[in-house]
Amino acid sequence: MLQVFSVTLRGVFRDRVFQGILIIAVVFLLIPSISSLSMRQVTELSITLSLSLISFILLLLAVFLGGTSLWKDIERRYTFSVMGLPVTRASYVLGKFAGISCFVLLTSVVLGMAATAVIRYSSGIYPAMRPIVWSNIYLALLFDALKYILLVAFAFLFSTISTSFFLPVFGAISVFLVGSATQQVYDFIHTQAGQALPWYIKKIAPALYYVLPNFEAFDFKVNAIYGIALSVPGVFYTTGYFLIYLFLVLAFTSSIFSRRELQ
Amino acid sequence: MKQIALFSVLISLYIAVLFPFTAYMQNKPFAEKLGYVPQPEVLKLISADQKQLTAASLIMKVLFYFGTLVEKTEKKIFLPADYPGMSRTIHVAVKLDPYNTDAYYFAQAILVWDVRQIRIANDLLEYGMKYRDWDFYLPLFAGFNYAYFLKDFEKAAQYYKKAGDLTGDELYVNLAGRYMHESGQTDHAIAYLTAMEKSAKNEAIRKSFGIRLNALKETRRVEKARDEYLEGSGKLPASIDELLRKGYLKEQPVDPYGGKFYIDGKGQVRSTSKFAFGAGSSSR
Repeated sequence: MLQVFSVTLRGVFRDRVFQGILIIAVVFLLIPSISSLSMRQVTELSITLSLSLISFILLLLAVFLGGTSLWKDIERRYTFSVMGLPVTRASYVLGKFAGISCFVLLTSVVLGMAATAVIRYSSGIYPAMRPIVWSNIYLALLFDALKYILLVAFAFLFSTISTSFFLPVFGAISVFLVGSATQQVYDFIHTQAGQALPWYIKKIAPALYYVLPNFEAFDFKVNAIYGIALSVPGVFYTTGYFLIYLFLVLAFTSSIFSRRELQ
Repeated sequence: MKQIALFSVLISLYIAVLFPFTAYMQNKPFAEKLGYVPQPEVLKLISADQKQLTAASLIMKVLFYFGTLVEKTEKKIFLPADYPGMSRTIHVAVKLDPYNTDAYYFAQAILVWDVRQIRIANDLLEYGMKYRDWDFYLPLFAGFNYAYFLKDFEKAAQYYKKAGDLTGDELYVNLAGRYMHESGQTDHAIAYLTAMEKSAKNEAIRKSFGIRLNALKETRRVEKARDEYLEGSGKLPASIDELLRKGYLKEQPVDPYGGKFYIDGKGQVRSTSKFAFGAGSSSR
């Protein structure tokens, strides 16, 4: 599995994905200028823009790298060749997943450093009303990365059942959109207006809420931007939720991939 | 050779279209520029994990629009402003990110001063105070609105006290106990706006405060002349012209919003512009 992990990670670097990210990261240079347009929250806007940019880059990575990595190997028949080696299908798919996830984490660290520099510079132009809570910013970044790692897992799951890259890519985008909305839909169902909805929607929506991923739980941007105290149980619950959900998706992925007919 | 000719034609066509296109975009009507803003619930769903960014971009959109209005006013071009559109956009923005202070600050600038929607502004400020419980500006704004516009001094004192408690600044605590109408409302507004203008970072907002300050200073000049007239003759002047004719006013007061000053039946000094952008324009 370690070998697959290492080959995957090296493959991502070889494909010059990191250079592509660095090109997008040039936008970081514009953040202090854009933030200075704010009336009262220059630092807060620079944190918002930095976190949003990182989130966007990670989303692209998760969707395209996660959605095409396994599919590409199957399409080019690399998988078939690898199966001749003493590597189980499960360790192969998990190794690939670990490689992509590690790259997502590495990207978060590098972009996090760029964000630190940008925020520090912006806060020098117009200090925030409240001191910057760096731990909140880094925690928000970490949970953002974890969210996209979960999305990579979904992209892998779709790759195992798909014969083209459409399902993994569009499936991952759909999971991202749905996962970002589940909490709001669930909250709406429990409001007075939501109670007026037809009974079957009121039954189906909570069921979907429990099955689909809840990405809103991973969103700590408000705490990072405005220095609002984090809920410690909330952080622990989210971590537990992430680990269990991830293992479930990976278990499904490796199980399906082990049964898949490869040529 | 053919390729070069083809590229040359295409680039020439592009340049030919580019200039009228840019001019069209620059002169696009304001209302179209501000555009339609979907319901906050819908935007929340669409924004996914970028709610704060969406809120910030909505506020920026309003700010740019407002900045253009201020610029036009400075050039003596008085255009009708889409205040309901600005208010709607700000309200949507705070639903997406209730912590965004720019939204409250801007709402205070437009809703209060330009359209006199004091109650809506105070509701918005009170909504913001639930989230930004460390921010003294919000109770300071609310306190000012209650005192100056709504003449509810009890409420004003409550909010000034809150601002004082948050900053520990004696100024707000003192204001809490002080009845502003004793010192004169216009003077109070001038003092408030002078402080706001000094602390304003954004150029458009700073200029808008400057324009309003000039309007209030002109109002105060006319008020002083009116008071002198009342003292001298025992009755209120019928018009600004009368004050000018009898030498109480040396120069015609100028409304920077493009309106015309007048004295109403109760002796209050007012302007046809109501001190709002475009309100005094004839093109409206």
